[in-house]
Amino acid sequence: MNRRMSLVLLWGAVSGFAADPLPSAESVLDRYVQVTGGKQAYENRKTEISHGTLEYPAIGVKGAITRWAAEPDKYYASLEIQGLGNVEMGVNGGVAWENSAILGPRVKTGAERAEAIREGNMNSTLHWRKLYPKVENAGIETIDGEECYKIVMTPDQGQPIVGYYQKKTGLQVKITTVSTTQMGDIPVELIASDYKDFGGILEPAKVTQKAGPQEFTVTLDRVEVNPAIPPERFELPAEVRKLVDQAAAK
Amino acid sequence: MSRRLILLFAAALASFAQASQLDLDSFEKVWTTIRDKHWQVKPGGLDWQAIHDEYRPRIEKAASRDEARAITQEMLGRLKQSHFAIIPAAIYSVLDQDEGGPGVAGIDARVLDGEAVVTSVDPGSSAEKQGVRPGWTIQRAGGKELKAIIGQARSNPAVHELQLTRAVLARLSGPIGGTLDAAFLDGSGNTVTLKLELTAPRGTLSAFGNLPPQRVWYETRTLGSTAYVRFNLFLDLPRIMARFQQTVNDCKSCDGLVIDLRGNPGGIGGMAMGMAGFLVKQPNQRLGTMYMRDTTLNFVVNPRADVFSAPVAILVDGCSASTSEIFAGGLQDLGRARVFGTPTAAAALPSAFERLPNGDGFQYAVANYVSEGGQPLEGLGVTPDVEVKLTRAALLAGHDPVLDAAVDWIKTESLRRKTP
Repeated sequence: MNRRMSLVLLWGAVSGFAADPLPSAESVLDRYVQVTGGKQAYENRKTEISHGTLEYPAIGVKGAITRWAAEPDKYYASLEIQGLGNVEMGVNGGVAWENSAILGPRVKTGAERAEAIREGNMNSTLHWRKLYPKVENAGIETIDGEECYKIVMTPDQGQPIVGYYQKKTGLQVKITTVSTTQMGDIPVELIASDYKDFGGILEPAKVTQKAGPQEFTVTLDRVEVNPAIPPERFELPAEVRKLVDQAAAK
Repeated sequence: MSRRLILLFAAALASFAQASQLDLDSFEKVWTTIRDKHWQVKPGGLDWQAIHDEYRPRIEKAASRDEARAITQEMLGRLKQSHFAIIPAAIYSVLDQDEGGPGVAGIDARVLDGEAVVTSVDPGSSAEKQGVRPGWTIQRAGGKELKAIIGQARSNPAVHELQLTRAVLARLSGPIGGTLDAAFLDGSGNTVTLKLELTAPRGTLSAFGNLPPQRVWYETRTLGSTAYVRFNLFLDLPRIMARFQQTVNDCKSCDGLVIDLRGNPGGIGGMAMGMAGFLVKQPNQRLGTMYMRDTTLNFVVNPRADVFSAPVAILVDGCSASTSEIFAGGLQDLGRARVFGTPTAAAALPSAFERLPNGDGFQYAVANYVSEGGQPLEGLGVTPDVEVKLTRAALLAGHDPVLDAAVDWIKTESLRRKTP
């Protein structure tokens, strides 16, 4: 028994001695900022308009996505899908909303609202300290043959996000989380690839999202950097404003 | 000459070999898709690997594509769930057309007491111009005795009213611009033989993803102080949702609203939630719950800013399926609508379509659905609050007993609400 315990202790000591110490989560996240363009590049970006396409091959659906964003936390996105019409969503003045031909207008609340507001943060990559008060490095996992740091980021409200950052490049290649939606909590896996320089910041040009049995891909085609965006672009649509006013009247 | 024959023979062999491999690949695609995407880890409670081991050798020995397709379909049948089907390539590519062709005679029909009976005639159609009326029995179409076809189909208990009706309607179709010889039994018991012109079905052609383009129509009218709306599919989303919103907005002072989903086989499931938002005032309500392998989705209702609050009646029959059942069953469970007619098709599973390597279409369900009241719609369907059957006699008398019952209820209910 003593011999076995000695072996266990010895093995533990050796393996502990041999392994590289894990870098802190903070350093992994800061490195991601650095390798994707650096703090200054993010700070220089005050507004942006991103143009992309969405493809849902299982049912043969394609759509065009355009997203307008402005510092610090405003955004408006439009997704036009043939046969489904337009789906709009946005965040402005702390109101997170969605409006679609299929479900109509609605105002997000609770954890869903908090999640939308985090997404609405113009430079969320840079501002991770503000968005996720608790971060920790949960170890190393291999993804597509590359070792990645598994960083768990926990917000004040809502579900934690687990980001996987390549040890070699520092780039984020995967995110897993449970997305809070009106229809329920949905486990989501995002695979980021094909990093490209969009106006001084490296961004994944291809993101594949798996949510349950559904899988779709968003391709980022073009980013307009610091364009002039009129404030009315972020204003709530009339139908959403009506719901906000009705709720306030109660 | 002989060299050419050998080449032809070789080409035929190569073609056969290719077809076999394509059928094997298609089988594997079907089996793998169900293994990976079925909402149950053990699809249908079956040992899915054992199913593979049982069917794969049979596919390998299949002598033709038809046989391979039948074997794969048999495997899908083991699930005992709807919305799992192999659609032959030839049909899949022209699914926007009926079996006889894309042209229709402008007649809607149902099987009543074992016979095909006209339930409505499109205004302006050749059938209307030649005097065809609701209630007439369709005896023959295209030289085929419909009663015999119905009898044969009904001998298989698995054939549901929805399939039976589709089979009947397919006999009333053909090439656009062609004609159809049909024999009817009119209200006086006389046989009427007509040559009907076949035209494009009414509605706007609408495409969505891999689904074949389909014609979608929407109609509305008022019946006294009651609004009546009917549409054939939950598709062409932007247009149909906008029309429904318009109907509801125009109906603010109506006694009630009748939504006729008879013959509506469904479409985009989300439209049920969107339409319910115009009718349900209370927040945080849902029509039901969809269960997938990793996810549970609540079919929530977002109340619109201006909600229609008068009584709502929904009409259904055995050809109301899928999204129609989600909508009718959910609003029934929420106490927001009263359902009239006959039990629905009991085929509510959400499904996807994919093209297989051999060109066939593959439909598979990705979820199960339970209505808010706890009723799994698959296999059970929606049971009307008020069961009313169409009869030939009523149709011949110019009545629609299901609609009449709904309108009567709305009148009574409206009066009750207005009475202090």
